[in-house]
Amino acid sequence: MNRKIRIALPSKGRLNQPSIQVLQEAGINILRKERTYISETSDPRFEAIFARAFDVPIYVQHGAADLGITGHDVILERKADVHELLDLGFGKCQLIVAVPENSAVRSVDDIPTVARVATEYPNLCQEYFESVGKQVEVLVVRGTAELAPKLGLAQIIADITETGETLRRNKLKVVATILNSTCRLACNRIAYRIFESEINELLGKLRNGGASTK
Amino acid sequence: MQTPKGTKDYLPPEAERHCYVEQRLREVFKLWGYQEIRSPAIELVEVLSTGVGSELIDSMFKFQDFDGKIVALRAEMTAPAARIVTTKMLEAPRPIRLFYICNVFRYSQSYLEREREFWQAGVELIGCNTPGADGEVLALLASSLKKLGLEEVRIDVGHAGLLKDLLRATGLDKEKKVVLQNLLGYRDEDQLERFMDQNNFSSQLREAFLRLSRCRRLEELSSVSLEPLKYRRINDYLRDLLEVKDSLVEYGVENLVFFDFSLVRKIEYYTGIVFEASVPNLGLPLGGGGRYDNLIEKFGKAKIPATGFAVEIEKCLRALIAQGFQPLEKRRVKVLVASRSRNSAIKAVEAIRDAGVTAMLDVTKGGMKKVLEYAKRSGINYVVFVDSSLEKPATIHDTRLDTVTNMRIKAFLQSLEDDQR
Repeated sequence: MNRKIRIALPSKGRLNQPSIQVLQEAGINILRKERTYISETSDPRFEAIFARAFDVPIYVQHGAADLGITGHDVILERKADVHELLDLGFGKCQLIVAVPENSAVRSVDDIPTVARVATEYPNLCQEYFESVGKQVEVLVVRGTAELAPKLGLAQIIADITETGETLRRNKLKVVATILNSTCRLACNRIAYRIFESEINELLGKLRNGGASTK
Repeated sequence: MQTPKGTKDYLPPEAERHCYVEQRLREVFKLWGYQEIRSPAIELVEVLSTGVGSELIDSMFKFQDFDGKIVALRAEMTAPAARIVTTKMLEAPRPIRLFYICNVFRYSQSYLEREREFWQAGVELIGCNTPGADGEVLALLASSLKKLGLEEVRIDVGHAGLLKDLLRATGLDKEKKVVLQNLLGYRDEDQLERFMDQNNFSSQLREAFLRLSRCRRLEELSSVSLEPLKYRRINDYLRDLLEVKDSLVEYGVENLVFFDFSLVRKIEYYTGIVFEASVPNLGLPLGGGGRYDNLIEKFGKAKIPATGFAVEIEKCLRALIAQGFQPLEKRRVKVLVASRSRNSAIKAVEAIRDAGVTAMLDVTKGGMKKVLEYAKRSGINYVVFVDSSLEKPATIHDTRLDTVTNMRIKAFLQSLEDDQR
């Protein structure tokens, strides 16, 4: 095959550094040039692109990237039809439902019939509330869902938490967990057939580098 | 004013490329003896829903007709073709070879999944259940994509019946079957072995799953066999696949064809081989198909086996462009003819068109400057100002080089022809 295998990595945020590192441990060093989106790597068979973690599943599904590193939560939220080849172990987080600490809501059962939920994860959120028999109005926000209750935008939020620190600071309490997530190596379905040996070689190195198998 | 979400206009350069792909495919399909059908874009929802499975049914645009019946826009063409065969072609000698090139419509909820209207070109080989029929359809798919000019085409083949029967033989519940199918998709042997040990697979099944998941080429299937009495049908499927391989060897396309035990299609009606075609520089399949022996009988009483495929025009085009396909409009020379004498201008354009060169008549009555300006902006290569007689030399402006030459139309056409060589 006369082209390089393209890996999409989160361009910033909590997944950026560990993603670069896990590849490094597998012998792929990113020779990142500033302001370029496609970077060469120390392995001539691979090149890297940097994209928003939320967009990585889309890149991979459409084959704009053959492989991608991003959260399991994001892959599900994007309903991306990709292979999740490996649980990379890092980026542990939970998608939770939270309400203000002083709220009378103690569990999902207490949620009123007409509630509004602010979230960055409308699909997972909608599916979850449907599965527990609650009808909610989902408001899609970008980034700072935890502000929504303060401003009266929504009584409930569904957001990602790692340590719970941001929630505590914003006086929010968790009433349910929608999903546990970690970072995954996702692969385009066609690329997995075409580059099977190269990708399996990388998988082997990533596993030896300490990532847990799925 | 916009077009509805997921739909688009095709402007001249794009429409022409689109048409090019359609034409090439149409030529190949016809050469192989397939006959074109057209059918309504709107059909009764029960026709379109027959056998396709809930995922596709959910994606159909449905609405109520004036008489209260629920109709839908076609989401694929195999169900309409099955309806046509059952209701209008029962007497036709079989096998029947049909093809179609048409738009289909699918509604998708996910973010930027895909177009809601897209074009498919496909064939159906109806009334024959031999591996030779499957071989023909696969070879036609390979040949069509090659004729388009696509390079590094590959076709991955699986078998819906084989996978289904083997999954059933495991006795696993629905959820575990999904887990197993995913493991097969990931081709992760360690995990697969662990899963099979945990779920007490018989040594025979264990061996079969492992070997099948290792096979990358159809010929490797000869290494797989199961107890003939208990797994008769599975062995039949394996034998069929090997026979398909034999005919692919005869067609000389076996090197493009791979085996993928885990391959499944999103549409439910497949019973036999299933396949997908792809190229390395497009991350989505160009198209696919397979054998559907139980679909047509659902439209009537006749049990008629069939096999076929469809490719997406847009994806073929995207793959071609990714492989450096030269846009067509640049290759074609265009000439604009202007003259004070309408008679000689019309004679001149006719003469140029007769020579197979695109020619337009200046109908604006604008001055020379305006005409030249227009030609430059519209990608016209030459502007020809003809005198009152074609026997006299015409003034020919080359809009790219900005040069002017005087020569007769005949000589001009000769020079164009020489350039083409």
